[in-house]
Amino acid sequence: MAEPLLAIRDLRTYFISKNTEVRAVDGIDIDVQKGQILCVVGESGSGKSMTSLSIMRLVPKPRGKIVSGEIVLDGQDLLKLTEQQMTGVRGNDISMIFQEPMTALNPVLSIGDQITEVILRHRKITKKEALHRAVEMLKFVGVPRAEQIVREYPHQLSGGLRQRVMIAMAMVCEPKLLLADEPTTALDVTIQAQVLELMRKMRDEFGTSIILITHDLGVVAEMADHVVVMYAGQVVESVNADELFEQPLHPYTKALLQSIPSIDADHEVLYSIPGTVPDAASFPAGCRFAERCPLAQPSCFEKAQALREVRPGHLVRCDLVEEGGV
Amino acid sequence: MLTYIIRRLLGMIPMLIAISIFTFLMMHLAPGNAIDAMINPRIKDLAQVQKTLEAQNGLNLPLPVQYLHWLWNVLHGNFGFSFSQHQPVSSLLGPAIENTLILAILAEILILIIGIPIGIMQARRPYSRLDYSTSIVSFVFFSVPYFIFAIFLMYVFAIHWPIFPAQNAVGTGPNSGSLIDHIYHALLPAISIALTSNTVYSRYTRGSMLDVSRQDYVRTARAKGLQEGQVFRKHVFRNAMVPIVTQFGFDIGGLIGGAVILEGLFTYQGMGLLTINAVSQRDYPVIMATTLLIAIGVLIGNLVADIMYAIVDPRVQYN
Repeated sequence: MAEPLLAIRDLRTYFISKNTEVRAVDGIDIDVQKGQILCVVGESGSGKSMTSLSIMRLVPKPRGKIVSGEIVLDGQDLLKLTEQQMTGVRGNDISMIFQEPMTALNPVLSIGDQITEVILRHRKITKKEALHRAVEMLKFVGVPRAEQIVREYPHQLSGGLRQRVMIAMAMVCEPKLLLADEPTTALDVTIQAQVLELMRKMRDEFGTSIILITHDLGVVAEMADHVVVMYAGQVVESVNADELFEQPLHPYTKALLQSIPSIDADHEVLYSIPGTVPDAASFPAGCRFAERCPLAQPSCFEKAQALREVRPGHLVRCDLVEEGGV
Repeated sequence: MLTYIIRRLLGMIPMLIAISIFTFLMMHLAPGNAIDAMINPRIKDLAQVQKTLEAQNGLNLPLPVQYLHWLWNVLHGNFGFSFSQHQPVSSLLGPAIENTLILAILAEILILIIGIPIGIMQARRPYSRLDYSTSIVSFVFFSVPYFIFAIFLMYVFAIHWPIFPAQNAVGTGPNSGSLIDHIYHALLPAISIALTSNTVYSRYTRGSMLDVSRQDYVRTARAKGLQEGQVFRKHVFRNAMVPIVTQFGFDIGGLIGGAVILEGLFTYQGMGLLTINAVSQRDYPVIMATTLLIAIGVLIGNLVADIMYAIVDPRVQYN
């Protein structure tokens, strides 16, 4: 396979306070190929969002800290850059869009101001050219009346439009990688589909790789080339999207897929995984999913599991899965 | 916006009338009157003299009639004649307002240029040693009544090193009455006010900026690659100013009333001193006039606060 655009190696992001050490991200390896849409799936508290904030190096300070690892973008380790160099990467090489379009835009600055600000930060052009570029980009993402919208403020726009503005803002410098943290969760279903479609259009047009963080397996089925399933700060399964839905191997992934409601299902009660994600301040010594796992053996509670390639391109963190995948 | 302002200004009229009626009644309910304060109680024919003077000044008429007289005159720009100072009230008000405005503006400028930068500095490094130490100093200053600073400043800069005047609102000599002369005389009282009151703004700024810096859009600004300074200037500060600007409007209103104790200490001829002297001498026309002006000041201050609010926050619209 070709050299990946982004290679995350053994990334660890902890929240450290006097008495506790919360391991939000605990040794993650992820590869993102050029032009790939990679979905990161998992429950709340599994470390998905912290992974994306770590890539941006925007982990909340002062408690959050990237303890170790490498985040290599195009051959350059982002963790080795100075803060000053990193600001040149953000919004330029890597952009990010967030879950809540309602609060992610600054209420007192006009839309045009907020978009041109990115361009002016990363490109040497005049304000007028930047505004022109902003209008062009807004048109591209399907914002109507773009010439007027640049003079308006976020509160004057609907949620769907604001998310389009966010995407325009993120894409205006044509980044190599777009991080989208549950970009459709706060939107209506019809708008969700449009926003997902728009993101795919961005990938096709600019060749941008996308890391799409979601807990919605419907979105995964719709969008993903490759899927990474996270649980308790670790990757538990990593495989291409088709194989994930055809043959999930990790008990957690299977349970997740079972908990999707289906229209033609006979049983009325929706399956739910018992229990909750373990406390990130005191992970169990053995498999982190063992407590909730229907297949757990006594050995699972004692021995930490390693991520293994059981089939070509299919990685699983479960010792019960045999070589070749059953 | 303009129609809103006009509507608000018109809305002030009934409020001002209500305030003036209330003040008028309160004054007349108080024991004693201006005549008692004016004449020597040991003269012969005390009762007769009192009656004559009351009749001359219209104080024997029924209260509603007296009030309507006053209102009629005010509407014609006539605030009456001061009982104790034997001058038209308007000639007393002019200099008092001027002096108070100079003191108020100077104090407010000092408050802002001390308070806001301290708040910003604290918010940039919250919970640091710098934050804690400046906060403690601020609270200590805030807890001390400003007349203590006034006495201290007066001792150091007017008596020990006689750089600034300890008294009066204007000096004598060639510069007398010029703006520089006014500022020179208002500086010590203004510093006394600013030393305590800047804490209000430093705390507001600090709290407001910390609040804003936790908002999602600040994270967005960082995700765009803006430098930390730019994030604070453009995204945090702009939003943090919204509550501060409102506070500023209210302050403007309050300061028009003058700082009574401080003006007394410096015998600074402002609204506060004028009012307090008038009250002690039952000088009704002066009390009515200053109360009315102070009320107008507060109402305008509130209006300014609302207008500024709409200017800094585009979500606020008056229609």
